[in-house]
Amino acid sequence: MTDFSIIGKPIAMVDAAGKTTGAGKYADDFKLPGMLIGKILHSPYPHARIKSIDTSGAKALDGVVAVITGEDAPNPYGILPVGHDETALAVGKVRYVGDHVACVAAISEEIAERALELIEIDYEPLPAWFDPEQSMKAEIDLIHENRPHNIEKDYHHVFGDPDKGFADADYVHEARYIANEVTHAAMEPHCTLANFELDPHTGKLGRLTVWSSTQVPYYLQHKLSLVLEMPMSQIRVIKPLVGGGFGGKSEIIPLEIIAAVAARAAKAPVKITYTREEVFWAHRGRPRTIIDLKTGVKNDGRVTSVACKVIQDGGAYCSYGVVTILYSGALLGALYDIPNIRYDGYRVLTNKPACGAMRGHGTVNVRFAFESQMDEIAAKLNLDPAAVRRINLLKPPTVTVNGLRVLSYGLPECIDQVITRSGWLERKGKLPKGHGLGMACSHYVSGAANSIIRSDMPHSTVNIKIDRDGGVVVYTGASEIGQGSDTMTAQVVAEVLGCDLARVKVIAADTDLTPIDLGSYSSRVTFMAGNAALRAAEEVKKNIVSAAAKRMNCPPEDVIMRNDHVYKRGVVPGDHDPTAAEILEEKDAPRGRVDGQILRGSVLQTRKEEGPKQHMSFEEAVVSAIDFHGALTGTGSYAPPAEARGGKHKGGGVGPSPAYSYSAQVAEVSVDEETGEVRVHKIWAAHDCGRALNPVAVEGQVIGSVWMGLGQALEEEMVWKDGLLMNPGMLEYRSPSSAESPDIECIIVESIDPEGPFGAKEAGEGSLAATIPAISNAICDAVGVRLRESPFTPERILAALRAKKGMKRIEMTESVDPTAPATFREHGGSLWFRGKGPLRDPLDPSRQPSRASAVLGGKQ
Amino acid sequence: MSLPSFQLLRPKTIAEAVALLAEHDREVKIVAGGTDLLPSMKQKLFTPPYVLDLRGVSELRGIRDVAGQGVEIGALTTLSAIEHASIIRKDYSVLYEAVRTVASPVLRNMGTLGGNVCLDTRCLWYNQSLLWRKSCGFCLKKDGDLCHVAPGGKFCWAAFSGDTPPALLCLGAEIEIVSSHGVRRTPLSEFYVNDGIVRLRLAPNEIVTRVFLPASAAGWRGSYHKLRIRGSIDYPLAGVAVALKMNQDRVADARVAITAVNPAPHLVKDADAQLIGLAPDEGLAERIGEMAARTAKPLTTSALTPEYRREMVRVFTKRAVVACAN
Ligand SMILES: Cc1cc2nc3c(=O)[nH]c(=O)nc-3n(C[C@H](O)[C@H](O)[C@H](O)COP(=O)(O)OP(=O)(O)OC[C@H]3O[C@@H](n4cnc5c(N)ncnc54)[C@H](O)[C@@H]3O)c2cc1C
Ligand code: SF4
Repeated sequence: MTDFSIIGKPIAMVDAAGKTTGAGKYADDFKLPGMLIGKILHSPYPHARIKSIDTSGAKALDGVVAVITGEDAPNPYGILPVGHDETALAVGKVRYVGDHVACVAAISEEIAERALELIEIDYEPLPAWFDPEQSMKAEIDLIHENRPHNIEKDYHHVFGDPDKGFADADYVHEARYIANEVTHAAMEPHCTLANFELDPHTGKLGRLTVWSSTQVPYYLQHKLSLVLEMPMSQIRVIKPLVGGGFGGKSEIIPLEIIAAVAARAAKAPVKITYTREEVFWAHRGRPRTIIDLKTGVKNDGRVTSVACKVIQDGGAYCSYGVVTILYSGALLGALYDIPNIRYDGYRVLTNKPACGAMRGHGTVNVRFAFESQMDEIAAKLNLDPAAVRRINLLKPPTVTVNGLRVLSYGLPECIDQVITRSGWLERKGKLPKGHGLGMACSHYVSGAANSIIRSDMPHSTVNIKIDRDGGVVVYTGASEIGQGSDTMTAQVVAEVLGCDLARVKVIAADTDLTPIDLGSYSSRVTFMAGNAALRAAEEVKKNIVSAAAKRMNCPPEDVIMRNDHVYKRGVVPGDHDPTAAEILEEKDAPRGRVDGQILRGSVLQTRKEEGPKQHMSFEEAVVSAIDFHGALTGTGSYAPPAEARGGKHKGGGVGPSPAYSYSAQVAEVSVDEETGEVRVHKIWAAHDCGRALNPVAVEGQVIGSVWMGLGQALEEEMVWKDGLLMNPGMLEYRSPSSAESPDIECIIVESIDPEGPFGAKEAGEGSLAATIPAISNAICDAVGVRLRESPFTPERILAALRAKKGMKRIEMTESVDPTAPATFREHGGSLWFRGKGPLRDPLDPSRQPSRASAVLGGKQ
Repeated sequence: MSLPSFQLLRPKTIAEAVALLAEHDREVKIVAGGTDLLPSMKQKLFTPPYVLDLRGVSELRGIRDVAGQGVEIGALTTLSAIEHASIIRKDYSVLYEAVRTVASPVLRNMGTLGGNVCLDTRCLWYNQSLLWRKSCGFCLKKDGDLCHVAPGGKFCWAAFSGDTPPALLCLGAEIEIVSSHGVRRTPLSEFYVNDGIVRLRLAPNEIVTRVFLPASAAGWRGSYHKLRIRGSIDYPLAGVAVALKMNQDRVADARVAITAVNPAPHLVKDADAQLIGLAPDEGLAERIGEMAARTAKPLTTSALTPEYRREMVRVFTKRAVVACAN
């Protein structure tokens, strides 16, 4: 069926009105009687032992109700079962500047802030680790005692025969790439409100309700149960509107647990909202990454082998780190046909805020390296960059050398589209001086085929209830975080039931009401919750159809639900304008009265309706079905098929997905050769999302991804100085403003996936990764400098340009050559810690005389 | 981050305002649009017991064309109002160009000219929350005894980061300052002190009330070039204003000023001497650029590296001179 009435139509988000008028409620908008405000005390040290904490001063302050520390909830947790290394508040040790140490719940924010100043903590500073390559050499002063050499996890994968692949190559290219750290910068800062009810029998604290800005209510419920030692059934997690997540809310953020622990201690509701700076400390963004990439190719550009070593500066806790480092390797596959792969991935701990999942989780930085290298190779072999990509296309259906199953594959068309629309063949190389075109491709999973917590449970379940009022209520655990999951759910259900979208009410992400869904991450919702919604709707439909068939006196196959009506095939009522061909089409099947079927319709209806009907309104059909079946409900669930779950190798569970989205992009830029400033004029972005269930939503996602990629490419960078984030705010952490946002032409490519709901795949992440290398390749096309360190800020570009032109060297990039970066760059200046400030350990890198004097020498 | 508590004083006249300032002397901070002061108060850089809100003093608002004397702008006039005043655009184009680059449209609706002229100096090690500064260690400008940027010295290099003052310097602007002791008028060039902490020759009990743009500077060609990473919002990381009085294709008078690369905005000394009488070409523009770059002493107080920012002062000055000449 391709003749849809709701699917494929541009539809406004079902929650748009609340968001645009301000009436919508986000976590921070909730208030409860007697609610207290929680404020968190953070560590000023990057690495220190807590010798003692004295909270008596804070507790004595008028208006303070409770003060909690790590001892109040010492159970460790973490999003991954292999990474339970966090506690709600520090127990014994702090591991980064900003680590959570204590929390005050008070009657006002101001009192809570004042109380924080009264908490006395005796720290013993420890040497800290900031550079992952140094950290990997650590023997002592480990960040977590059970992680030797501060390595959270390393993987060494070999697929095919990489050595032979390199031996067979005509040309081998090798380089190091560095992608600096970025964070989500979602508009809504994290917020959690926690409230315990009194148990009516014991008078003690009973059930817990938590309103939280989360992408993963179910995991939050699970971790709360772990830390609070309460059964999950006693915990209700409600996700109100969420103002963007991008992965930053896809795991349990400390404040979510702290609010609950504080509410328990205070015996009152507690709300905590992070300041923007705290959001930066909580972080979980994309780690700064070193990528050593080597590619072997034939003279025609065909890849024979790839070797990739990735070091991720993961920060102080595991978070999603093990998954990130696996994605970085696994997603070398499934875009192009690469016969041999060697992958060495190191997820390293450092004394910095924890990195985690961020839009394009795991793939983005490696894709920057890979797509840059493709262009470097094309230049070397004198090939068109587009041709190099085309010659390496997969031939689906296929399973890649690293075990990823690919069915639908719109990449070839994506490439064709951007080449045509951008005028690539005619314009490339012929633009005015300083202007250039660059292309790159990327892809992403439509949900992970294996859940974080390995089990056979469905990844998504959806329930539907329809009552006599004709209202269709859909209960889904899927978390709307602005990406449009509620709208998608409503559309899928309305399409299946042939009813008006306005009938459908989506109740989402409330663990008491909605069945389990793993959450909004890894672009899984449309594919998985969409499939579950489809199945649930089909189950309900079956019951409506069987009752309607009886009332219309026809076989169930001839019942058509469409346009908020139920029709008998071939019967077109006079006062309607049914658009579906199938309503018009007569079938040869024998028709006529089926014996013995007297409908048990409602009294009202039997009286009003004489004899069999030709068509019915949706309500009538619903009433008939309820009368007939007793109730009208349906359930559907989704679990990825076994064939899509990947190889058996260690770590093989991450990367496999039931389907992959594809993207190809061309960027047009100009570079000011005297200032190094880049202007992106236009980006053509073609995205294969299977079927576009809602084209405006797909466009929004693609434009958003490109825009976020633009930020990482040109402007966004977390700047570090010895573990201290120099720019923990939206003024100095520069997400692009609308002023420099380019024209983005989004081209939707529909490959119609055989397993996606109506053929849909993901649309929210896959386009991000292509933008960064497309811009870098365009810069190289424009001015001939190859930047291997992102972001491509003007001083990096100018430094590279001056070097290329042989001009007098000006040290503009703090000793890191952006065309051949060797190490991460640190912000200049000096943390001396001699003055009025915390005394750091003498072994701290920031205190080492060689570095200090180098800094001084350079600056004075 | 909550705003520390304070008592708000809301005078209606300049006289009332200066009386309140005299009464509370060092315990009071003036707020105009608040776009600079309020974020800093949240970061606990200032915790004044009293805040004096100028916004009720209507005589401080407005742009007046005083025949033969030039233009007067009240200190409380918003940057948007200046941006949209046709006289500024026509006669004082360098100010028009500069004012349009300040922050973002929303901030320009709130921010005032007085606030822009009196802007606090900025530094990455200073414009941070209390927690951040505690963690790093306090610096000279606030509560500390050393400078992270230049640790050897006892000097604060925090950069003056306002966009309009270099333009005003190019126009030879003067300002009027009022206190309970009376009214004084001073050239803007004598208002600033090249020290990140001292900053201004302004006593705590004084208010800047008006900015005067002399008639003699009307019609000068102007150009303002600003270095920033984003196309909007960002403070300048370097800024160059050039104003040329042209006589045919020759320069009759000239001023060049730079901002965001020193603790004060500076006129580039002798730039006028180099330019007057000549028809600026690339080569001359280049030389002026080098003079401006020598005046710039950027350090690691902001994003991008000091070396790059200084280089941009050179390039931007050259471009601004060329832009004015053509
Ligand atoms: C995100 C952001 C970006 C910004 N970007 C820029 C930028 O690009 N360029 C730029 O120049 N500025 C920028 N600013 C700073 C600010 O918005 C402007 O400088 C604005 O003009 C300040 O005016 P105000 O009235 O808001 O100042 P306020 O905050 O009210 O005051 C600033 C200072 O001046 C003092 N003051 C104000 N008026 C008087 C007076 N009449 N007499 C004596 N003292 C007075 C105050 O006590 C205070 O110390 C930015 C601010 C933000 C928040
Ligand atoms: S320049 Fe030095 S003293 Fe001044 S604010 Fe910056 S760190 Fe502090």
